[in-house]
Amino acid sequence: MKNENFLVRKLFATTSAIMLLFLLGSCKKEVFSPGTTNEFTLQSVDNGTSYNIKVGLPADYNPAAEKYATVYVLDGEEIFDIVANKCKEISDKDGVKNVLVVSIGYGQNRSIDYTPTKVSELTGGGPQFLNFIEKQLIPKIEQDYSADTTRASRVILGHSYGGLFGGYAFAVNNKVFGNYIMLSPSFWFDNLVTLQMEKDNRPVNENQHQLVFMGIGEAENLGRMQAPFESFYQSLQDNYPNIKLAKNIEKDLDHMGSRNPNIEKGLNYYFENR
Amino acid sequence: MKQQKILFVIVSILAFTNGFAQKNMPAEKEKYSPLRQLTIDPAIGIHTNFGTDLLLSTLVQWNPQKHLSFASHSSFNINNIAQRNFNGIKTDYNYSINQKFGVGTTFYTKRSSNTFLLMAGVKYTSFKESLINPDNNKVSASVNAFSPDYGLMYDFRKGGKKYFFSFRMYVPLYPWPVKNVDISAADGNMNNIALEFGVGIKIK
Repeated sequence: MKNENFLVRKLFATTSAIMLLFLLGSCKKEVFSPGTTNEFTLQSVDNGTSYNIKVGLPADYNPAAEKYATVYVLDGEEIFDIVANKCKEISDKDGVKNVLVVSIGYGQNRSIDYTPTKVSELTGGGPQFLNFIEKQLIPKIEQDYSADTTRASRVILGHSYGGLFGGYAFAVNNKVFGNYIMLSPSFWFDNLVTLQMEKDNRPVNENQHQLVFMGIGEAENLGRMQAPFESFYQSLQDNYPNIKLAKNIEKDLDHMGSRNPNIEKGLNYYFENR
Repeated sequence: MKQQKILFVIVSILAFTNGFAQKNMPAEKEKYSPLRQLTIDPAIGIHTNFGTDLLLSTLVQWNPQKHLSFASHSSFNINNIAQRNFNGIKTDYNYSINQKFGVGTTFYTKRSSNTFLLMAGVKYTSFKESLINPDNNKVSASVNAFSPDYGLMYDFRKGGKKYFFSFRMYVPLYPWPVKNVDISAADGNMNNIALEFGVGIKIK
């Protein structure tokens, strides 16, 4: 009996040690070099909320001689470091000019800011949030930094509700961004209202030049993600002659698991095709 | 990463092999233990993703020695069973089939046993969604995919020598850390932890 207890303890200890080894290796948080990041808050005129904004500058940032494209990152508090590091990695690898990475932190609840219509108390702030980005944030970034001011040089990147917001911005105010990285977009929201918005605004948007990357996880099987994703993709493919369009389905990964691999693939697609 | 994987496999094998080394137990204890050489154990269960998947499974376990266990676990899962029509999106079908084999060790108390197994196998997932709202395009999306299935299984049994109740829990080790060491991939593992309850029969 004593020997058995010893073996059980040994087995648990060994298994725990292995799991811990992997867990510690996996939990290392990516941090973008703080020496090249500026931070400030900006209050929205529309909803009164203050947003924490971070701007990641290229290592060789040269405002006197260069203008830079800008990637606006939703859920910035979660993924800014990953996006900024990937941009640096890709631009270094390909020997191309890096971008300014602008992290938009959480102001009010993300489900308020990122959803286009009001179906509950915690949804429907998308129009005000898009207005804040267009009328306040972008002008400030383009005034304070050496950012290219053309639509074609602006990218919006979002995941889940953030991806939904990217689709909403694409449909209703296509003149703000020329590039969209939409990852696992929640197009199921409010009876697929964003698909309808895309359809309604198609006559205005269809001849615009734009780049769209759409990513999703193959294991997102909750009965709401795949069909709207495919519908939006097919609409863009069939109706927008001047679009650069790609999609990626990340094998075996689900909603959260596919996020970072799709960020990398989306940014690669942008850098190669911008 | 490759070294980590190799280390993981080696240490796991050593840990389990250690368990097998202990073959004998005192004669007095032996007569109380519910020793079973071959059992079949059908069960019903859920995944931990809010319990929306229904699992129907069978575990066949063979103990050629007291502390050495081999197992085969087969499972048919009807996924997201409660919500087949959501916001104009219809789930046409959504299921997965898992087949795993494992090796491990069993420890006994007076009327119960605890088995720990390292499992490996394959999972087939198939689902299809369609937009049914007439305002939208008639679009369907389907996934039919095989993926590896690794993990650790714990099986608790209590009961008589012939029939017993069982509870088992399976913790997948895929996609994290095998496919992706990024901790965000562990979401896929967490959603697929299986909890199963069954009644087993001793065949031999």
